[in-house]
Amino acid sequence: MSRVLAYCGFRHGAQITLPAVGVGAVPVQLMSSGELGLLWSEVEWPIAPDKMQRSALEFHQVVRHVFNQTAVIPFRLLSVFEDQQALAAFAAENQARFLRDLERLKSFVQMECVVYPAPATERQDFSSGKAYLEKKAVAMRSSEGFAQAVRDAVAHLSHEVRVREGKNGTRIFVLVERGHESDFRQAVSVLPLPQHLSRRISGPWPAAEFLSDEVKAPQIASQKIAGAK
Amino acid sequence: MGRGRHIRLSLMPTDFESVEVLGGEEEVSLLEILDHVLNAGVVIHGSLVISLAGVDLVYLGLNVVLTSVETALSNLQIQEKRKK
Repeated sequence: MSRVLAYCGFRHGAQITLPAVGVGAVPVQLMSSGELGLLWSEVEWPIAPDKMQRSALEFHQVVRHVFNQTAVIPFRLLSVFEDQQALAAFAAENQARFLRDLERLKSFVQMECVVYPAPATERQDFSSGKAYLEKKAVAMRSSEGFAQAVRDAVAHLSHEVRVREGKNGTRIFVLVERGHESDFRQAVSVLPLPQHLSRRISGPWPAAEFLSDEVKAPQIASQKIAGAK
Repeated sequence: MGRGRHIRLSLMPTDFESVEVLGGEEEVSLLEILDHVLNAGVVIHGSLVISLAGVDLVYLGLNVVLTSVETALSNLQIQEKRKK
């Protein structure tokens, strides 16, 4: 069974070069809907578990190829359409929303800093629930403090900042003007880190965290709209 | 420690070429990429169960990804602790 796998959307211009092949080494195709370009491939579906890692890397390479040249709206790897017509219908329906977000994000990339508990070097005292909760509260306060320090340190570089708490730490997403990635790294890497925390800086990534809700989850958005009528 | 179980959370995303060889410290670069390609961006379709690095990642209804690679990392760490 084959399906249409969508990689990313971008404002299509003559100067943008496209990757030749994508997931499963099949050709990458361009679908245009006005100024919106969508890259897609016809792939065997579902992707076999033993091919998932390679497929993920191939998917990443396609998105990265375009992202290196311009702003993109990435689809998630497991986003598939029944056929080319379904993708065309999606493109026509969402073209204006996609182009609005692409215009808003055209000069920016997403940089990230994740703060997470450092591997414990000494035996943890979890003899009581109270001790556990106290340690957790301290770690949370430290993470929050560091997140604020990151905000302050990159204030001159950031267009927007979002912070999300996850199971494995605090993720700080920063919208930075393209070309200022190394300034971000420098500003964040020199910040003193609270004890028992580690950091991981990454980027540039497509600004997926800063997409509007209607672009991020178009079906859910349209269901909400339909439900409101 | 087996291949694909080495967790070191200090790497940048890398180009495809440098993560083709899995295992060792490159593994987290791969996980970073997996996290983004699976968890960041437009959501169209869900309801799938797949397996990465021996860990099942479960995706359930309404096109919302409920379990992420972040959880997979947790699971790997728990498995490592159990082994020790």
